[in-house]
Amino acid sequence: MVTQQTRPSFLPAAENAMATSLCLLLAVLVIAPMLAVAFGAIADGGGLSARRLATVLASTRIIANTLFVGVGTTALAVAVGGALALVLVRIDTPGRAALEQFVILPLYVTPLLTAIAWSWLGSPRGGLINLFGREVLGIADPLVNLHSAGGVIFVSALAYAPLPFLLVGGALRAMDPSLEDSARIHGASPAKTFARVTLPLALPAALGSAMLVFVQAMGLFSVPAVLGMPAGFHVVGTEIYRLINNYPQRAGQAAAWGLLLLAVTAVFVALQAAVLNRRSFVTVTGKAFRPRRIAVGPVRHFLAGLVWFYVAVAVALPVLTLAWAALVNFLTVDVKLMAFDLRHFRYVLFTYPKTYLAARNSLLLGAATATCVCAIGLAAGWVIVRTRGRMRGFLDQVSMMPLALPPIVLALGLLWTYVGLTLVPIYGTIFILLVAYVTHYLPFGVRAASGALRQLHPELEDAARVAGAGLAKTLRLVVLPLTRPTLAAAWTLLFILAMQEVSASILLYTSRSTVLSVAVFDLWEAGNVNALAALSVMQLVVTFVALALVLRTRQREVAA
Amino acid sequence: MSAIVSVEDLVVGYGDTTAVERVSFTVAAGEHVTLLGPSGCGKTTTLRAVAGLERPHDGRIVIDGVPVYDRGAGINIAPEKRGLSMVFQSYAIWPHMSVADNVAFPLRVRGVPRKLARTAVERALALVDLADFADRPATRLSGGQQQRVALARAIAFETKVVLLDEPLSNLDAQLRLQMRGELADLRRRIGFTAIYVTHDQEEAFSLSDRIMVMRSGRIEQQGTPAEIHAAPRTRFIAAFLGVRNIFAADIAGASSDTVVEARLADGTVLRARDPWGDGRGGHAAVAFRPGAVHLEAVAASGRAGNIGTVTRSLLVGDMAQIFICSGPLEICALARPRSDFAKGSSVAWRVDPDDCLVLRE
Ligand SMILES: Nc1ncnc2c1ncn2[C@@H]1O[C@H](COP(=O)(O)OP(=O)(O)OP(=O)(O)O)[C@@H](O)[C@H]1O
Ligand SMILES: [Mg+2]
Repeated sequence: MVTQQTRPSFLPAAENAMATSLCLLLAVLVIAPMLAVAFGAIADGGGLSARRLATVLASTRIIANTLFVGVGTTALAVAVGGALALVLVRIDTPGRAALEQFVILPLYVTPLLTAIAWSWLGSPRGGLINLFGREVLGIADPLVNLHSAGGVIFVSALAYAPLPFLLVGGALRAMDPSLEDSARIHGASPAKTFARVTLPLALPAALGSAMLVFVQAMGLFSVPAVLGMPAGFHVVGTEIYRLINNYPQRAGQAAAWGLLLLAVTAVFVALQAAVLNRRSFVTVTGKAFRPRRIAVGPVRHFLAGLVWFYVAVAVALPVLTLAWAALVNFLTVDVKLMAFDLRHFRYVLFTYPKTYLAARNSLLLGAATATCVCAIGLAAGWVIVRTRGRMRGFLDQVSMMPLALPPIVLALGLLWTYVGLTLVPIYGTIFILLVAYVTHYLPFGVRAASGALRQLHPELEDAARVAGAGLAKTLRLVVLPLTRPTLAAAWTLLFILAMQEVSASILLYTSRSTVLSVAVFDLWEAGNVNALAALSVMQLVVTFVALALVLRTRQREVAA
Repeated sequence: MSAIVSVEDLVVGYGDTTAVERVSFTVAAGEHVTLLGPSGCGKTTTLRAVAGLERPHDGRIVIDGVPVYDRGAGINIAPEKRGLSMVFQSYAIWPHMSVADNVAFPLRVRGVPRKLARTAVERALALVDLADFADRPATRLSGGQQQRVALARAIAFETKVVLLDEPLSNLDAQLRLQMRGELADLRRRIGFTAIYVTHDQEEAFSLSDRIMVMRSGRIEQQGTPAEIHAAPRTRFIAAFLGVRNIFAADIAGASSDTVVEARLADGTVLRARDPWGDGRGGHAAVAFRPGAVHLEAVAASGRAGNIGTVTRSLLVGDMAQIFICSGPLEICALARPRSDFAKGSSVAWRVDPDDCLVLRE
């Protein structure tokens, strides 16, 4: 019974055209910048050399600092996020429904604003906590010093802990409680069951989130720029920023740093894949189980207190500090000197020249990024979920690569790709920022869309095709309306995230294409504390209004 | 009669598994042809390949004179350009549209003017008895109503060929019977060509002009319902159709003989009919239905028959299913209940050569 196993090389034309153009688009978006960074690192005059790489490798101080921040942030964030997940998903913690919403807010407050607020609170001399200690309590030595390596790790971990929380929490929810029951029935104590069954099953999610945080932390710019640089603590992210933004620009040297970061994150991703492959078991059945909550007695109030403490430190305190600074005349702990009014808002809104341009660019970029990512995500997700073959595999792999690509390295790659490329004159415009944002957030869009498509019975599309609708019409008339709830939520979140992007923007903006996060950073560098606070508060208001809209549509969805 | 659909040497696979293995058949205009077979035999795959929803590995498909797939010539026409309609097992009613919008979809995307489309939709909905439901959201319908919407959608554009993939299998037994009647009625009135997929033999036998029985990716037999009922060709088909008595047998006689002698495992020799006359190879089997078994008490038989012992007797309506043990075989017969067929009694049984069929392996 020998039959032809080779597949005919012809796909229906429309599918083929869509898959091919997506492959090309992703190659340009994702692979080109990575190659450009590698090229930039070794290009030397007309030839190639490893000179810059050698210089970079000799800067052991910066490498050590970066690894310290990367590993420290990852370890602390995974520990905090994992603990939050356990406490909120598996323990009968009081108030967990509200707390679950609160603990992901740091994602939206952003590392930059959290770092700025904590700098005002904890800088060694002017920090409000230390001022309070000195002037009210009469303690001469600073109580805390966040302008330090420890400060960088502390704030970064606070800001990134929601990622491990979301992933580990999701895994804990998807875990079949009968797995634990059977361990108990076979004689394992609760503690042993936890150590031997629950933890190993949650490990893939913990490792996955560790990878995400590690990639972000290794390429981190905002937090070290705010909390590290004043103390002379430099990491690769701030170094790349210095090399690109100081005159004369040294893009080659920056690319060498970028290549080093890429190499480190690639090794980390490979390690993670190896660990996960060796213990590949199916824990996620796609079914949602009602997680079994462990009753811990009165300790639960203590645990709830700890979660509230996290929310206070990571969200409430920074946001209140920013709001207070936006209203007060100057930063002081002396109540007699404080006066509150709206002049900083007036200044930012009507006088500060960059506000209007930056806000317009940010809103445009947020909307354009969200739209492009949703569109590409839907198309790529469709090819990934509904077709077989080589192009599907390529899209599946490449669309997830940006997860391992620190945004600052992506921006470097785009600089190397598009500076001087007269054929595509996007350098110096907001289009290069759009390219950076779309690439950076692509995995999010593809994941969201393919998740929604998997819920959709394929015969709904087949019916449209047989009824006479081509691929484009089927996507527009059937797939799009049915995935709209998911895409709308994804769109809003992308809009928020893209409006706040810092690490890539800081290398790519020009005076014409400045954005809100860059304006905030400018004001920070200029030391214009109150205006900065006012601008941040306005950014946060837009963010939280958008977020509230997402929550409302989600609730409607659940109700429907 | 001219063929409106013709499939030649179709091969379809998923990855390394082959789901359809050199299947060929033709469907004449106006005919109702059914692909019948057990789960996983490749019925849906064949139908989807005809629709263009599955890409074959090899073969040729011609619809209404137009080659829509031809590996040799490199032709693979997209499903929307094949001019077909299809009813899906899941109904595939679009939940974001009203009933009327669902039915209008094939007309709208094919560019039928709005006014004409509206009358066509009304007509289709009237035909399936859903005229009052036009403005309902499609999600607020019962299973049977969804089924009808799917049917209405398939007939609204009046394509020449309608493909139906187990359209009744999601309904409960009673509704299935009713819808089967309505489907037959509808086809009589509009007269479309139907290619129908089912694993339910009653459905196949009551609806079809012609049945193709499939087994692991191949067509094992095709013929009218009467032909297949009277003479299932293989042991597999006989078993699938629920023939109770199927026994391995050694066949004596020339392969051209239409009546042969079959020796069963217990030594019994039956005279059997072999309608195929195409060489039966080493292995063969014979099959006969319980109703074809003549039973007599041994005393009355005058040794005209084979002797066995009754092991069980079950009442089925006013008849009794009587199981007779004869060596290693258990034969099932249908007879009026009588005291001399009680459990433990010896009986003589025989089967007319006309009712005893030689099967291919
Ligand atoms: N998407 C798929 N991927 C891999 N194998 C498949 C796929 N769809 C079907 N098959 C395999 O192809 C074979 C034929 O499947 P098909 O769906 O045509 O069967 P069927 O006769 O319609 O069965 P049923 O009565 O259960 O619907 C089966 O063995 C099945 O496992
Ligand atoms: Mg099927």
